[in-house]
Amino acid sequence: MKQMLLGVYFVLLSCSPALGAEWEDIVAAAAGQTVYFNAWGGSQPVNAYIEWAAERVQEKYKVRVVHVKVTDIGDVVSRVLIEKSAGKDTGGSVDLMWLNGENFKAMKENNLLYGPFSRKLPHYALADIKNKKNLLYDFTVPVDNLESPWGAAQLVFLYDSKRVPEHPQSMGDLLAFAEKNQGKFTYPAIPEFHGTTFIKQALMELIEDPEVLNHPMIASDFDAHTRPLWDFLDRLHPRLWRNGKVFPDSASRMFSLLNDGEIHISLSFNPNAAANAVENGELPPTVRTYVHASGTIGNAHFVAIPFNSSAREGAMVFADFLLTPLAQAKKADPKIWGDPTVLDIQRLSPEDGALFDALPRSPATLAPEDLGRVLPEPHVSWVQALEKAWLKKYNQ
Amino acid sequence: MLPLTSLGKSGFFPVFIMASFGLTLLAGLLGTVLPSLDYLPVIGHTRFSWSPWQEFLSYPGIFSSIRVTLISGITASASAVGLSVFWACCAHGSRTWRLFEKALSPLLSIPHAAFAIGFGFLIAPSGWLVRMVSPGITGFSSPPDWILLNDPYGLSLAAALVIKEIPFLVMVMISAMGQLDMEKTLLAGRALGYKKEQIWLKILIPRLYPHIRLSVFAVIAYSFSVVDMALILGPGSPPALAVQILKWFNDPDLSLKLVAACGSLFLFALVGAGIGAAFLMEKILGFFLAPWVVNGRRRSILTRLKPLFLLPGLGIMGITGAATLLLVIWSFARQWQFPEVLPASWSLKFWTTGLVSCFYPFVTTLLTGMAAALLGLVLTIGCLEHGAGAKRKGTRNLNTPVFYFLYLPLLVPQISFMAGIQLVLVVVNLDGSWITLLWSHLIFVLPYLFMVLQTTYLSYDQRFWDQALLLKRSYFPALFRIKLPMLVRPVLFSFAIGFSVSVAQYIPTMVVGAGRFSTLTTEAVSMASGSDRRALAVYALLQQALPMIIYALALITPKILYYNRKGMQV
Amino acid sequence: MCLELENLHIQKQGTSLFDPVNLVIAPGEIATLMGPSGCGKSTLLSAVSGSLDPVFTLTGKIRLNGREITSLPMEDRNIGILFQEDLLFPHMDIGSNLAFALRENIPGPERRALVGRALESAGLEGFEKRDPSSLSGGQKARVSLLRSLLARPGALLMDEPFSRLDQTLKAVIRTFVFSRIEEMNIPALLVTHDPADCPGGGRIINLDKG
Repeated sequence: MKQMLLGVYFVLLSCSPALGAEWEDIVAAAAGQTVYFNAWGGSQPVNAYIEWAAERVQEKYKVRVVHVKVTDIGDVVSRVLIEKSAGKDTGGSVDLMWLNGENFKAMKENNLLYGPFSRKLPHYALADIKNKKNLLYDFTVPVDNLESPWGAAQLVFLYDSKRVPEHPQSMGDLLAFAEKNQGKFTYPAIPEFHGTTFIKQALMELIEDPEVLNHPMIASDFDAHTRPLWDFLDRLHPRLWRNGKVFPDSASRMFSLLNDGEIHISLSFNPNAAANAVENGELPPTVRTYVHASGTIGNAHFVAIPFNSSAREGAMVFADFLLTPLAQAKKADPKIWGDPTVLDIQRLSPEDGALFDALPRSPATLAPEDLGRVLPEPHVSWVQALEKAWLKKYNQ
Repeated sequence: MLPLTSLGKSGFFPVFIMASFGLTLLAGLLGTVLPSLDYLPVIGHTRFSWSPWQEFLSYPGIFSSIRVTLISGITASASAVGLSVFWACCAHGSRTWRLFEKALSPLLSIPHAAFAIGFGFLIAPSGWLVRMVSPGITGFSSPPDWILLNDPYGLSLAAALVIKEIPFLVMVMISAMGQLDMEKTLLAGRALGYKKEQIWLKILIPRLYPHIRLSVFAVIAYSFSVVDMALILGPGSPPALAVQILKWFNDPDLSLKLVAACGSLFLFALVGAGIGAAFLMEKILGFFLAPWVVNGRRRSILTRLKPLFLLPGLGIMGITGAATLLLVIWSFARQWQFPEVLPASWSLKFWTTGLVSCFYPFVTTLLTGMAAALLGLVLTIGCLEHGAGAKRKGTRNLNTPVFYFLYLPLLVPQISFMAGIQLVLVVVNLDGSWITLLWSHLIFVLPYLFMVLQTTYLSYDQRFWDQALLLKRSYFPALFRIKLPMLVRPVLFSFAIGFSVSVAQYIPTMVVGAGRFSTLTTEAVSMASGSDRRALAVYALLQQALPMIIYALALITPKILYYNRKGMQV
Repeated sequence: MCLELENLHIQKQGTSLFDPVNLVIAPGEIATLMGPSGCGKSTLLSAVSGSLDPVFTLTGKIRLNGREITSLPMEDRNIGILFQEDLLFPHMDIGSNLAFALRENIPGPERRALVGRALESAGLEGFEKRDPSSLSGGQKARVSLLRSLLARPGALLMDEPFSRLDQTLKAVIRTFVFSRIEEMNIPALLVTHDPADCPGGGRIINLDKG
């Protein structure tokens, strides 16, 4: 037995120089390439960060990264699909894309992704795969190294402490708040993913047996299981902003509403969103963040390479750069973006670890230790069913 | 020179336009009809069936989407046409009218998205208008929970559409008026004792309407199928049909592309129905109002309501000005909360970062606009020259059928045939190239160029041309040294129009550009879904500024070129 | 029932166009304004009709049937004008063109009868449904006059009304117009440069530069 383990050990050891050599080839091939990075462009801080990262990669690897600002990444999925249908197997218009969840599932199921590739990235080894299950299962769909992690997300609520003396701790509290403060809360319309996450969170808190959510949804039991959710929403909607007749179309729009005082409680997937927004004047300095006592849903977001990219080496170089401690720390800096890291900080070298320790803390956000439990996403079949049911009930 | 001349005379330009437009529309049609019948090989659907239609008709919220489209579309078109007509009746010749005429160019040059953004800032419950009276008059310390924006019936969208469409209709009316010799009709009518407004209503509008009919149809088509303004001002969920089609097209669930195709055809049918209804209304009104025209009433309530109807013009100028002003203020704001009328703190940061980050979209917008306008001018003048030549010789004037081809892109919902074209383009590997992008803009630029230059060409005194030919004895020198310089004002004006039409394009750039090209418009609309209104304002202002600069240049250049020629100063 | 011009004086930037005019035209009378081109006779006519170009300044008074109309807008003066061009509305048939001129509050059947009688009197029986562009020059001129008169004006102004017609037609139309004016018994002012246009026995006023 010991013999076998030693043997395996030596084989693995001999692989790593090969791995290193392969990476060198990739870097060499990447020089001079142009990578069209399709990523959501609705946030100035994020756009600025991507520009910074692009500049670093240009300097260091001579790879030119162009940030193609998209409103909806689904649009990009469409485009890659159409290219595939037209037989365009090389020279695709998209080289790297920022996605997760449903969009990843669509790309994977239709064989639109290049890879597996993330294990080729040297800094992937630093990712916190051990503790963060959602780096391996994207909305319960196995990642299979077809996408490289970029950042983490957790549902948090923001509120204006000037107007809300005591924040809710659960959905029940939220309902009580809404009943006392007509029109001061809302959530984005399904199927916008913040909105979907909100009702997923509500379902998790209200369902009798949360365990069923980890398994595929059984259609005949769906109504029975989701009854508490619809009862809750039926009571909540008339108390919402605009009486629940109009829903904002994105969480970002809700920030404007929070700033204007149209609503007093908003939500975000970026735990550090409040810090960033307060920093640049988008939200007043009295804004604070909270989570529910029982925990809130969290997931990760990734970058992936379409099958027909002709700049895949450049894309991999960029994806790897995004995983470096420098890039991750800068991303996690609330003054820049505030998006949590996917790296295992314990395994970083002292200098790299110091980058994270030095990150400014803002009173507007919760410290990482105060973010509470991260609840896993439900099985993906629940999501589609929930969205369909919500649309049917409330979208007329 | 000789081959080129015979090329021009042989009708090359009209034929080229008809062939290319025809092909494009055919491609769009193919890419839409086939998937709507469940035929889309790429996702494995190779058998024709009705299931996409079934899914379309049973999609949750679909009837609300259709309702929104109908309400906003009909309200906007009817109000725009009605108000333009009454505006012309009551205000023509007055000082307000002349002011409005001068303001037309800036009003028309503001891209729809930029205006929608500013308009949203103005009328939102947390917007400027409410802030001006809060908490003073209203007592609000928080914005009221009113549905003023993104309302489920699309009325705020309709309002913005009306404000954008009236200047367009007025411009078309003015150019048609030029052909009609209205002064004499007004004299004859007044000599018979009729008040000016009555003459307008009873005689002039009926004479004018056939000339603006096609533009009215274009307005109807636009109101039903607008996407960028609907994204910003229309309801979110369920959205207007055109927006829903875009969402389906972009959905990760790829089978929704089939539903998108159905939606496109349905929207096209709605537009067709709207246009048909307008045509029917015209005939019905003509029939039923005939006795009223000759009933001898010389004055009507219009005369007494006249001051009221001066409002549309003033209102439009005022609202557009306010919307732009708001964009300027937001672009310099750091922190601005309700109910402050002005920001609490200011910052230049968004301008400095904005100007730097907008470099590539700016250049793309500028180059594409210039190229589209220039190419459009060449094609249009080529056609019009052919038309002028054909008229003199009595040979067949190919411009008549060309006219209908040119107008088609304005009557077919953009989202409908653009999505279809994208599929075809990818097959022939032409998507994502700048040439294709240019062409997609050109399709929408050409109709406007044609509209504007055609009236100029028709009213050009042919005797100048005869003299020029006799003196120069050659075609191109006569064209470039006599005719075009004489027409420098309308030619430059059309260039500016073509440029601004290209700048405003959203769907073509999004769909055909395959994400390679971002223009100031695509950036602005993408940022409108974000939360940073300062950066958004900067982009919206840049988007607005470009066409305005070109317009200003178009106005000034003739003045400079011909500063010492009074005859050119008309 | 008279048309009176009292001390009517028109100036452009301080320069007088002609000497102040004093004129009283009796009902049924046709006065003719004559003078070389550019002497201001059309301008005078436009002053009386109410369509004077703002670059001119007007002093003096104009009265119709005792009522002062100097500062009234054109449509309120109750004065008809016959132009060189027939100005028939091209998108309406002859009958509608004529009916347009009738006063309001006349019921439909009576309107049709009035139009029919007018057309009969001009030898244009049955022309109600005709398209104006299908008529000859002379026919159009007659319809134009009929239209002006159906509005029952208190006075009629004519600005070179026959200059577009050929010689033979001129005589016929002239007679037609003058006889109608006499019939309606309204004062009329004719502007022309052709001496043959003057009605026999009518007053001729020569405008001289002031």
